[in-house]
Amino acid sequence: MEDFFANLVLGFQVALTPTNLGFALLGCLVGTLIGVLPGIGPVATVAMLLPLTFKLEPVSGLIMLAGIFYGAQYGGSTTAILVNLPGETSSVVTCIDGHQMARQGRAGAALAIAALGSFFAGCFSTLLIALFSPPLAKVGMSFGAPEYFSLMLLGLVAAVVLAHGSVVKAIAMVVLGLLLGLVGIDGNTGGARFTFGTIVLSDGIGFVPLAVGIFGLGEIIANLTSPGKQRSLVQEKISRLWPTAEDFRLAWPAVLRGTGLGSLLGVLPGGGATLSSFAAYVLEKKIAKDPSRFGNGAIEGVAGPESANNAGAQTSFIPMLTLGIPGNAVMALMIGALTIHGIQPGPQVMTERPSLFWGMVASMWIGNLMLVVINLPLIGMWVQLLKVPYRLLNLAILLFCAIGVYTVNNNVFEVMLTALFGVLGYVFIRLECEPAPLLLGFVLGPLMEENLRRAMKIAGGDPMIFVERPISLGLLIATVLLLLVVALPAIRGKREEVFQEG
Amino acid sequence: MKRLTLALLSTLALAISGAAVAQDKYPSKPVKLLVPYAPGGATDITSRLFGEQLKNILGQQFVVESKPGAFGILAIEEMARSKPDGYTLFVGNVSTNAITPVLFKKKFSIDFDKSVVSVSRLAIYPSFLITTTTNFDVKSVSELVAYAKKNPGKVRYTSAGVGSFPHFDMEIFGRRATVDMVHIPNKTGAAGMINDLVVGDAHTAFLNAASAAAMIKAGKLRPIAVLAERRLTDYPDVPTLAEAGFPGVGTLHWQSMFAPAQTPKPVLDTLFKAIVEASKAPALQEAFAKQLVSVKPSTSLDEAQTWLNGELDTWRKITSEVKIDLTD
Repeated sequence: MEDFFANLVLGFQVALTPTNLGFALLGCLVGTLIGVLPGIGPVATVAMLLPLTFKLEPVSGLIMLAGIFYGAQYGGSTTAILVNLPGETSSVVTCIDGHQMARQGRAGAALAIAALGSFFAGCFSTLLIALFSPPLAKVGMSFGAPEYFSLMLLGLVAAVVLAHGSVVKAIAMVVLGLLLGLVGIDGNTGGARFTFGTIVLSDGIGFVPLAVGIFGLGEIIANLTSPGKQRSLVQEKISRLWPTAEDFRLAWPAVLRGTGLGSLLGVLPGGGATLSSFAAYVLEKKIAKDPSRFGNGAIEGVAGPESANNAGAQTSFIPMLTLGIPGNAVMALMIGALTIHGIQPGPQVMTERPSLFWGMVASMWIGNLMLVVINLPLIGMWVQLLKVPYRLLNLAILLFCAIGVYTVNNNVFEVMLTALFGVLGYVFIRLECEPAPLLLGFVLGPLMEENLRRAMKIAGGDPMIFVERPISLGLLIATVLLLLVVALPAIRGKREEVFQEG
Repeated sequence: MKRLTLALLSTLALAISGAAVAQDKYPSKPVKLLVPYAPGGATDITSRLFGEQLKNILGQQFVVESKPGAFGILAIEEMARSKPDGYTLFVGNVSTNAITPVLFKKKFSIDFDKSVVSVSRLAIYPSFLITTTTNFDVKSVSELVAYAKKNPGKVRYTSAGVGSFPHFDMEIFGRRATVDMVHIPNKTGAAGMINDLVVGDAHTAFLNAASAAAMIKAGKLRPIAVLAERRLTDYPDVPTLAEAGFPGVGTLHWQSMFAPAQTPKPVLDTLFKAIVEASKAPALQEAFAKQLVSVKPSTSLDEAQTWLNGELDTWRKITSEVKIDLTD
């Protein structure tokens, strides 16, 4: 424990130098900005700023890039809530209830809870990194293919619960997501699937075109076709910016649960922020006394996922710093940044470069504080954004979406793909199909398939491997329990009735 | 009328000489370096490190633009179709510029051999033949071969995907050693391969030495041979794969600069000279040494091309020997 405090002191000494404070602030500002702009994500931004870090001290560079990454998680929720456009993968579920809150004139409350929840999650997970990095890294290392498969299975089953329309539609959307996720070269055989013989599809469909198209463009088209609806949003009196006492009472347990869940899932490579926010939403809905409020502006539906994605974003640094294994694309870039400086992230980083590791940890806490200070006063301004006429706002969103999608891979094809998915998104809205399960199927499906095939290869074709490994068995049992809960007739009756309102 | 013609002619002459002057002054505006990978990987880092030095030498920015996808085909085609004036260049590696043109010849909408010219090799990344210590107790190449012979189909190896060079290398290694091993491909590249090894999903792999270094230090991975011309100074006890009894097995992971085939010779000369000069810069040398990479520019423009042709021939041979089923 003494070590711990000595390390923290060392960390704050590094993080509180004027230079490093400056870089943390810069990172947070840039992160918030790109998070708010739909489509433009942290991956493209970090990639663009990467060369800049080559000239900096490694720790300063890392502090700035980290600021961009978690700043984007804060900013991403803003667009999700205000215009139903997930700025980031991880803010997809924030759209569901956050945007409903905005429609009811409670945008300020949603934004404030998102910021405060993220701040709490950020503080908690930073502490977690400081205290438990080595043991948590071991958790990540005990996840082989069978464990991942069982985790993904649990996730997909949970996805059905996520929907608030009919169960049949939810399953259909998950399956459609799975199919879209299959497009491209199959990693196990090298065979091309659903590419229509083109090379542009050989790497599959990108997440950004799909999410921006289905959520963002679909919403814009829907807005344009029903002018009455959009006016109601603008005319809605924004009574207060700050959440009510009732909001706080409902939100804080959700923040705690989201933080816990996010911290845990963030440690897993490949899981990270996205999975955490989906999982947190499912959890909130499951344990709510009145699930019908979800999808209609339940504040827990914002508080839980937003805390979870921030916690997940922070703890995803654990496998990167302690194992050198990137949980997501941004972490891969950070490893690149460190490599340039001749630092190979790995189990040795904590002992060999304590000032780098602890400086980074301390800066995360400072960065989170900065973000909440930056974001809370901005809420008033963001809410004013809702008063901008939709005909102007739509154009601006469309432009930023196009730029954002293009910058991911410098590929025009993906912009066209986005337009196509926009039409599909509109069709889904008209058919009252929820897009969130589709995205979850899209993300988890390919991972699930790969890990299933891999696990079978490891076991030499023996499916018993999934129940022989304790972690995998535990996850499978959880899946079965979840299915039972859904299938129980008494509950199902209530559930159907509840969901029809959605 | 005559006067007009004369005026026109002289303007034209001026324009041409102007163009000639501009060409002499190559580069007179920023140069684009297309990289067929997402930022942060080995090829990206190589192009940035060289780009930095080329800027110092030639006085213009060398801007790295990543265009990942389709085994490098998207980026190669964009480069080959751009104006051959030396302002759009390409940094590729053995995968994108020797294996892809052979394995995916039909996928190209250009003729690779006729559209792309090699400017210079830049660097060579050594690889380790590596084993995990998580659930595998093999300490040398001969032990690995002996174990795999005794347990056919029980040793699993990971690679960067079907048709990637670590996959071919391991296939060829398995044939030479007459052992039967199971392939567990991982599309996410080096990071994913390390994960597979550390959790014990895979037992062995050919892996970029710099990427493996941290895990070797931590005792999670064990290098049993190195794929390089000679032993690495940081790992004097690790034999080369040739020393361990498998000469000629394994791919040297090189990176090279390429240009559209019609690029004028003077431009290529300027670039080549600048690359040779850049490779001697202490900052660049140091940065590469930290990653265990040897900086190896070609000896001349011609050597760069004959060497690329040699690599393409090698891969034509390998891919006709080791048939990897890639359905279209």
